[in-house]
Amino acid sequence: MSMELNWGLPVIAYLFLAGVGAGALTVSASILLRGGGGHFGGSHFDMARYGALIAPLPVMIGSGLLILELGSFHAGHWFKFLNLYTVINLSPMSIGTWLLTAFIGLSLVYAYTFLATDGAPGDRWDALRRSCAWLGVPMGISVAVYTGVLLGAMPSRPFWNSPVLALIFLFSALSTGVAAIMLTRTLFRKFQIRRLEAVSASSSTRRTSDLDVEGQYHQSGYILAASDTLLIGLELTAIFLFLIFAYLTVGDVRYAVSVILFGGSLAGTFWFWVIFLGLVLPALVELYYVTQRLLLHQSFAVPLGIEIVVPTIVLAGGFMLRYVVVVAGQITGPVGI
Amino acid sequence: MDQSKAPPQESRRAFLKGLSASATLAAAVAVRPAAAATRTVQYGMLIDTRRCIGCHACSVACKAEFDVPLGNTRSWVEYVEKGEYPNVSRNFLPRLCNHCSEPNCVDVCPTGATFKRAEDGIVVVDPERCIGCKYCVQACPYDARFINPVTGAADKCDFCLHRVSRGIAPACVETCIGRARIFGDLNDPNSEIAKKIATNPVSVLRPGMGTEPNVYYIAADHSDEQERRRGSYVRVTTHRKEKERR
Ligand code: SF4
Ligand code: SF4
Repeated sequence: MSMELNWGLPVIAYLFLAGVGAGALTVSASILLRGGGGHFGGSHFDMARYGALIAPLPVMIGSGLLILELGSFHAGHWFKFLNLYTVINLSPMSIGTWLLTAFIGLSLVYAYTFLATDGAPGDRWDALRRSCAWLGVPMGISVAVYTGVLLGAMPSRPFWNSPVLALIFLFSALSTGVAAIMLTRTLFRKFQIRRLEAVSASSSTRRTSDLDVEGQYHQSGYILAASDTLLIGLELTAIFLFLIFAYLTVGDVRYAVSVILFGGSLAGTFWFWVIFLGLVLPALVELYYVTQRLLLHQSFAVPLGIEIVVPTIVLAGGFMLRYVVVVAGQITGPVGI
Repeated sequence: MDQSKAPPQESRRAFLKGLSASATLAAAVAVRPAAAATRTVQYGMLIDTRRCIGCHACSVACKAEFDVPLGNTRSWVEYVEKGEYPNVSRNFLPRLCNHCSEPNCVDVCPTGATFKRAEDGIVVVDPERCIGCKYCVQACPYDARFINPVTGAADKCDFCLHRVSRGIAPACVETCIGRARIFGDLNDPNSEIAKKIATNPVSVLRPGMGTEPNVYYIAADHSDEQERRRGSYVRVTTHRKEKERR
């Protein structure tokens, strides 16, 4: 198959980055609403903070990349993409344009409420922060789901034309969002611990946890790892459903899915990069540490190397998932003429 | 933009009214304004592949008509070769946009640049609006679309709108030495194309896509290279940059 790809690296990167941003916002807002708003002490707030500060960036970069892929941009009409804002119709891309714009706006405001380094639950931005979080959960989920709908809307692309694809993208978005938060907090580990110390020193009322600062840090790591394992499990389930329903059918979809099944041209990439490296391996590693705490009640302490490698391969797997899906959809088509 | 065909009764009335109209293409085009008052027009094409000799005159005429950039094709002729010696055949399948009645390309366009004209059912692209997002290129099940590298906009066959609106046949129809192509109003039961479609076994491409194409074929060879998996030899030569159908 020697097809020219109409949608190449920019679109692949966009689908990945929009997922990371949408996931980070959803996870951050959920943590904030669930407990980071004040009851669980500083470390939850810090997780919400990292998610909030991460969220707008990848989505803005991804949307920018999309513009680079436009034919009008290549032909020198740099700003023609603004035509998108003159129309609202039922095209998933039109809905997506407005959704992304709203997302970027909301996530920037949300991030702004976390910007002050001494930000804490109950500060003067609290009300705005919480309202943004309430909007942020549905908004993040919508952006993540929409990336799947965008591809799924076309009968001419049997590989993409599956409602399960949007679910796979949603779970992948959430899990890569968690991974992005994990990676950031690990890289800024020292900074975070210093902040936690400052918070616990400045006010003892805000702390309800008995854990010391190091313990708090690992406690939030535990929550991230546990939720990531769960999300990866859900993602694997969705991928299984995608594969099995495509495999058990006949015609277009069966033919299309064969490119990622045994003997298909993308099979190696899919099974190694997406399934093994991006999902199974990190899930097993996280499970190993999570069960130690869950079942054996040992303290959750993950070596620094693991804390960097695991989210990195989750992110790499998320990117390769978009790569395989975008390419597979374009090198296959309906059977017969 | 209701493209549904006129109900039978109305068609009969239109038929009676249109009795004075000759069945030639030019006349069929010329009666359009009068006929449009009572029913919608849906231009379409009927390609009799038995009359096609695979000479590519249509592709060349189209290239010249629109100055289509090198490497892109609005209209092309595929060769379908199959069988084992001595039981072999080579058939020709001229291809173009089907000006579908349910065009998926229109459904997905985020700017409204691609739309189906209410007055004649031709699916067109407004290059001023189009941002070249390629969504329609992905959505068309017939690979009829491409991004024009000069304008940066989506491009494809427009049934020679500039000619048709002046009552002249599309360039590919006029140039076809085998007279394999018939162009006209599918909704006019008196038109040559409607009569031929009514009295011949015809087919459209990929009917399962649900796009309801308005380009019909007589004796089209629907063989595809994917049939090789069943063990029969089929080779399709697309004669365009996209070496394989997708
Ligand atoms: S053939 Fe393709 S481009 Fe033409 S109207 Fe149908 S879907 Fe649109
Ligand atoms: S490439 Fe142009 S015509 Fe096609 S969907 Fe995008 S904006 Fe619409």
